[in-house]
Amino acid sequence: MPQQSSAAETPPAPRSRAASRFETDSEATSAEDSLSAIGRSLPDSIDRSQPLALVSQLCCLCKSDDADPVGVGEDFEHRSGPDTFLAMRCRTCGVVYLKLRPAMSELSRIYPPEYHAFNFSEQRFGLVYRIRRRLEAHRLLQWCRGIGPIARILDVGCGDGFHLRLLRDFGAPGWELEGVDSSIDAVGAARAHRLTVHHGTVQELSLPRAQYDLVLLIMTIEHVNDPVAVLTAIRSLLRPGGRVVVITDNTATWSFRLAGGRYWGGYHFPRHWYLFERQSLRRLADGVGLEVQDMTTLLTPLNWLYSIHNALVDWRAPSWLVNRFTMRSWGALSLFTLFDGLQQLAGRGGILQGIFQRPAEPDRAGARNHGPE
Amino acid sequence: MGPSERRPVAILGAGLAGVTAAVALRQRGIPVRLYEAGKRIAGLAASFHDKDGFTNDFGAHFITNRLAAAVGVGACCRDVRHYGEAVLLRGKVYSYPLGLMRNPRFLLSGIAGRLTGGRTPSPPRSVAEWFRAAFGAALAKDVAIPLIEAWSGVSADLLAPTAVSEKLQHGISRTLWLRLAGQLTRRAVANGYSHEMPERPSVWHVYPVGGVSVLVQRLADGLGDAIQLESPIEGIVVDSGRAVAVRVHGREEEVAAVISTAPCHVLPRITVGSDALQPLARFRFRPMVFVNLRLRGRGLLPDTVLWTPEKDFPFFRVTETTRSMPWLAPPGKTLLTVDLGCEAQDPTWSMPDDRLAATCVEALAPIIPDIRQRFLGAQVLRTPIAYPLFLNEYETDRLRLKQSTGVEGLYSIGRNGEFAHILMEDVYWRTLARVRQVARDLQAAS
Repeated sequence: MPQQSSAAETPPAPRSRAASRFETDSEATSAEDSLSAIGRSLPDSIDRSQPLALVSQLCCLCKSDDADPVGVGEDFEHRSGPDTFLAMRCRTCGVVYLKLRPAMSELSRIYPPEYHAFNFSEQRFGLVYRIRRRLEAHRLLQWCRGIGPIARILDVGCGDGFHLRLLRDFGAPGWELEGVDSSIDAVGAARAHRLTVHHGTVQELSLPRAQYDLVLLIMTIEHVNDPVAVLTAIRSLLRPGGRVVVITDNTATWSFRLAGGRYWGGYHFPRHWYLFERQSLRRLADGVGLEVQDMTTLLTPLNWLYSIHNALVDWRAPSWLVNRFTMRSWGALSLFTLFDGLQQLAGRGGILQGIFQRPAEPDRAGARNHGPE
Repeated sequence: MGPSERRPVAILGAGLAGVTAAVALRQRGIPVRLYEAGKRIAGLAASFHDKDGFTNDFGAHFITNRLAAAVGVGACCRDVRHYGEAVLLRGKVYSYPLGLMRNPRFLLSGIAGRLTGGRTPSPPRSVAEWFRAAFGAALAKDVAIPLIEAWSGVSADLLAPTAVSEKLQHGISRTLWLRLAGQLTRRAVANGYSHEMPERPSVWHVYPVGGVSVLVQRLADGLGDAIQLESPIEGIVVDSGRAVAVRVHGREEEVAAVISTAPCHVLPRITVGSDALQPLARFRFRPMVFVNLRLRGRGLLPDTVLWTPEKDFPFFRVTETTRSMPWLAPPGKTLLTVDLGCEAQDPTWSMPDDRLAATCVEALAPIIPDIRQRFLGAQVLRTPIAYPLFLNEYETDRLRLKQSTGVEGLYSIGRNGEFAHILMEDVYWRTLARVRQVARDLQAAS
């Protein structure tokens, strides 16, 4: 220890709905709760004072360690362990990654039970829930534009199926909806909503190749240990001309510049293993033989909010103050929406949206880089 | 894979640099063999614990949270809450460096230095000239030059300006900013410690429970049987300008490359088949005697480090480690490390431990009047290679060594191998950069 990250290791859980700040806020809510929940959120059998088992990582694109340390921090949100983590930025491609990340055997610890609790419910948030649900549905339907009334859609890292349910409620009746998640709890929750969800990872499952019209990868790519393998697998599932929508935190932002040394919300230590900006995400897509159709940013107040939140936690601020910087604090949310709106105007919104297409014609790029399909 | 690619890279020395290099090469699938002359790993990072609850480190006192996180020992590190330095001059204590400006002479000298510093006709040729240009004549004469001369044992006119210019890069505003950040966060924010990677308010000093050697042990965890203890390298064989084998235990072992962490001036002595390394034989290290005094009480010095530029003192620096790291001594007791510069086999070096301790206690009496009543005992550490001396006479050769040893496939890394005054974090990052170079060279050669 630290060991070499081996290719034979089980690829990770594209984690799930709860990880998604963008659409659910469940993480935010659970993080807020976790402050008061420290000490009771993990099962008794887990000793959070024990260090996590860590494995070393290289840049996922360059397979190199030629990188600069940019941020050092801790699990400010869930306090899953006493460890500290170092974020590196690759000098060649700009990917930001954890130098040492928790081993796969630690997933149940770094995603404690309350992490998955889907607390962004109508009961708790009322009108806000309904508004956000509409907004999310609107975005989803935009991504679905042009796929026709009969289509097959896969949500990778679907969690409890929030997006799939939106598609079922607002989308075309002819759409065949499926999800993938590696967390058995998430799969159970999704199936309880009568959704078709496969348990496992997209690399390991033998899903039908070249059958899907649209794949969603929403707030998932940053959680996996091999983004290239995940996108390669997704490419093989897409029918020629099919698209994948990748949504992830953007490191080319002012919030990262200001708070990237330690507190930046998007680090989400130690659960975000690879983070991107436009160029590196484009490079990821190019590398697996996907064509970039669109690359843009979206607005989110959350990385600002959590940067402040994490700093306050680190400075041991009183809880009344920390609680001003959670998903339920309207003042902070409006303020940071404004902040991120300014960033968004400058093309630096907090969330990155990449829409990639599997080339319609049999292509050389894919064959060159990524073996048989 | 051809047979030549199966030959391992030989690494000499299982200190921080050697172990870091071994791990990084293995990560690239390059086989390594790590030869350590001593009975255990950790080199300069070793620490010693005595039965009374005191910890004595060999030089490397603390690291940064950034290095701890890079290696994966963050979980066992304690934050250092405070680190500060002071200068004792004519019985008055000034905080270092900005407190010296309270003295009007130094202030005027400093301002004059700033105003004229940029206008000196030629670049400084020695440390003495560099100090005068950067700090002004008074500060150079009373503080900087006496300190560097006591530290190095040679005249500041003979030292290359790089001896200090590479270390003292921060401007006043940056120093102030990091100092302020440290006070606000109540953490000893690194300030002039790391030169490879930028210092920020988020980078502060920490100390691993169990001593800094924990770092090296953690790194070495995955190396297993690649480490060969008690295996001093007897020779490095160079053939046609390329390192091809090492001699160990009387045998010759073929290798793909050699990475040495040994003090670079021994390389000419152990290398067979090339005299390209001959210039390194002139490189000198400054020997040091560290006297660790165990004392009753705490807070006996005005700050963690006290510089004593005046010649009345046989030492140039005293460190009260417990001011930064209270856990290094039992409650109510403290540990003072007194640094005595010396030459190998000179009277200071050869002095028996108890006399060294008595000399230090005697000399400290003006600073700590009741030190004799407080004295509990002492432990003495001697090292013949404490600091590299950047003498002008071999500055060109030193700059050449920064590029290469002059022998293909032979690399000299780490604090002693690079002949650089660098601390642990810089050793780590520089070693990783060197390993990238080694890997590139191996690929090009195969």
